[in-house]
Amino acid sequence: MITDKKTFQRPRVPGCGPLVTVLISTYNRPAYLAEALDSIFRQTWPNFEIILTRDGGLPVRDVVSQFNDSRLTFIDRDQNRGLPYSFNEALARTKGDYVCYLGDDDKFFPHHIETLLRSISQNPDYGVVYGDLYKAHCRVLPDGRRRVLAKNVEISRDFDRMLMFQFNHALHVSLMHRRDLLDKAGRYNESLNVLIDWDLTRRLCFFTDFLHVPIVTGEYYAPVGDCDRISVQRRKNVNDYIRNLLTIRTTRPPKPWPCVEDSAIVVLASRLDGALEQMLRDIWSHSFYPYRLFVPLTAQERQRFQSCVPNLVPVEVRPEDSLSVRLNKMLQQVDADWTVFLPAGISIPPDEAMFVERSLYPLLSGHQTHLACQIVESDDTHFGAAIYTDTLRKAITRHPALDPQQALMAAGIPIRKPEFKEYPFQFDNLLSGAEMCQLDGQWTRAARVYDYMAEHHGNAVWMRTRQANALLQAGHYAHAARTIAEVNRIRPTVASLMIQARAEKKNNRPQIAAGLYRQAAGILDGQSTGYLPAAADILIPKTQSNTASVQPVETCVWT
Amino acid sequence: MDLTRQTAVPDHGWTQHYDIVQEMGDCYATVGDYVQAQDCYERAAMLAPDEAGPYMGTGVIALQQGKLADAEIAFRVALRLDAQCSKALAGLAMIAQQQKNWQNAFDLYLKSLELDGDNLTALLGLFQVSCQMGSFARVIEYLNTYLNLHPADTAVMFCLATLYLKERQPDRARRILKDILALEPNNTDAKNLLEEAENRIPIPA
Repeated sequence: MITDKKTFQRPRVPGCGPLVTVLISTYNRPAYLAEALDSIFRQTWPNFEIILTRDGGLPVRDVVSQFNDSRLTFIDRDQNRGLPYSFNEALARTKGDYVCYLGDDDKFFPHHIETLLRSISQNPDYGVVYGDLYKAHCRVLPDGRRRVLAKNVEISRDFDRMLMFQFNHALHVSLMHRRDLLDKAGRYNESLNVLIDWDLTRRLCFFTDFLHVPIVTGEYYAPVGDCDRISVQRRKNVNDYIRNLLTIRTTRPPKPWPCVEDSAIVVLASRLDGALEQMLRDIWSHSFYPYRLFVPLTAQERQRFQSCVPNLVPVEVRPEDSLSVRLNKMLQQVDADWTVFLPAGISIPPDEAMFVERSLYPLLSGHQTHLACQIVESDDTHFGAAIYTDTLRKAITRHPALDPQQALMAAGIPIRKPEFKEYPFQFDNLLSGAEMCQLDGQWTRAARVYDYMAEHHGNAVWMRTRQANALLQAGHYAHAARTIAEVNRIRPTVASLMIQARAEKKNNRPQIAAGLYRQAAGILDGQSTGYLPAAADILIPKTQSNTASVQPVETCVWT
Repeated sequence: MDLTRQTAVPDHGWTQHYDIVQEMGDCYATVGDYVQAQDCYERAAMLAPDEAGPYMGTGVIALQQGKLADAEIAFRVALRLDAQCSKALAGLAMIAQQQKNWQNAFDLYLKSLELDGDNLTALLGLFQVSCQMGSFARVIEYLNTYLNLHPADTAVMFCLATLYLKERQPDRARRILKDILALEPNNTDAKNLLEEAENRIPIPA
């Protein structure tokens, strides 16, 4: 196993070191496919295999034949079966220790595989690593060529598991994972037709942490105006999109989950009626943390109960059972670490996207097993809370005659509502706050917020870039230049070079500014990638190997 | 090209190519490399044919090289593309000023300032033309407006003090000059003018 960067050596020929599989599925884009393939063959890491699938559409055999290389496997299929099917078909043939992906109109920079491989090798506790990508805004010319107008790193977000449960923040093309993780997380879900990458990424995060390396290792293209990307077109069907979204959010890969503590949502209902059924649907659409939903039903109710809500566990109760008895019966079936019990009839605000998570997250993040975190919308008459399951069980067992709230109080369990500062996504709240400051023209204040975020919330390269831009807008030109120069020393991008150029121009240093503009233009025109090999040592984190949730693959051993 | 799409954050927006060549052109123009500057402005104009910026840049470097006819054409194109372009009006005013067409220059500077009261080039141009014409009332108004936004701009404060003296309002001139000296105690021009102002007697109201 390689853990020391000094032993990380690039083999000169294929066949040495870990094998990396690159998957590409192509459909009706022969013009760009050649560039995509070419970008793989230009990799500094030579030990890779490419599995290219033609998922129907225009023939690409002419393109493929340009690359006479044994590392390329071509699956030529006339029928269009969709991206998840194509990737699964290709995955069945992979031999690589690691897998990464490339869109048929995207490009890797030459250091893509080597950077990600080195990162994951130096940090063996991680099973997934991802870098940053340029989003290349382009205008498609009549002859099909793309004229790039801008290149922005729009997503450069450190891994946040809670955020990954809610939405994706690791672009698939930027990601490399260990192949063996798919045995646990499962393959692509072929019932989905949009957000399929997030679905897999989300499932992977049950089994490993992700490592974010803020190095730009490729680019994907976004035509200005109406985009022809299938994923973009499909998002226009709102109902279908929401169906996909909710399916993904409620997908539970097989256990055990080394990186995620499970939760149970238990509904304290005395009867099945329309309001209860609506409540179950509302919970489904207003929660994203993995859960199973327990609902008490009599034998008669169970016969007529039909619901589309996933992960639902009906628990048989008798009509005369009290709420405490019903809770007890449901708890006997709960196998999750954490339980959220909700009274029937509690109101779920339509615009609340983390109804349960606001109370669950403070417990999870601090592993607080001796605290009940009350649901924000609940009160003494409709009491609900999140709590460690064993703690709840003990309280209910010790005080069977009391309702849950009284039982918890009698057992001496502190009960309180979560404070706003304990909610998930504090980073995003601060980010929104800073952006509001910008909209109000309070640039100095925005810069201070970004500075604070860089110090306390990670994402340093991204936040420092934002800070420098805010300082520039506020007229603090020298400070802006200093701040962004630090960023450009390790990761120059088009935007960061432009910020420095503008600051230097304001500092009456037009010649320096012109040089920075030239560098930015070089990246924009594709003459350079902006990659600084020496800076990789700074940007690739180095973690100590500890309780690895997943053992590194054996084939990672090489020198 | 819709430049309003450029948002407040650096990781969005899609006119970087235009922005880079245009701003690089400005840098070259500043250091006097007019060939490189012109090349940049031409590329910028091709990337964004509806933008006034490249023509403004072309006009400025033509003006700096004394090519008044070329400059005038460029500024007029810029103005046609953007009727609210204060800088193009100021450019045309500078040409009129160089041609000693004081009234025309005065009117163009005024129009420029109506569009952008913050345009320092127009403000100082208006001051210079006013001195030539001996007509100060309007320029005093604009200088005061500008100073409300930039209260510590001592160059503009000095212009205003000069005009107050010409308008025989030495008390006002003295106040401003003292403010300048509070900000810049070693400002010799302000010291000399203050000495002159101290010897003036205000006209009775």
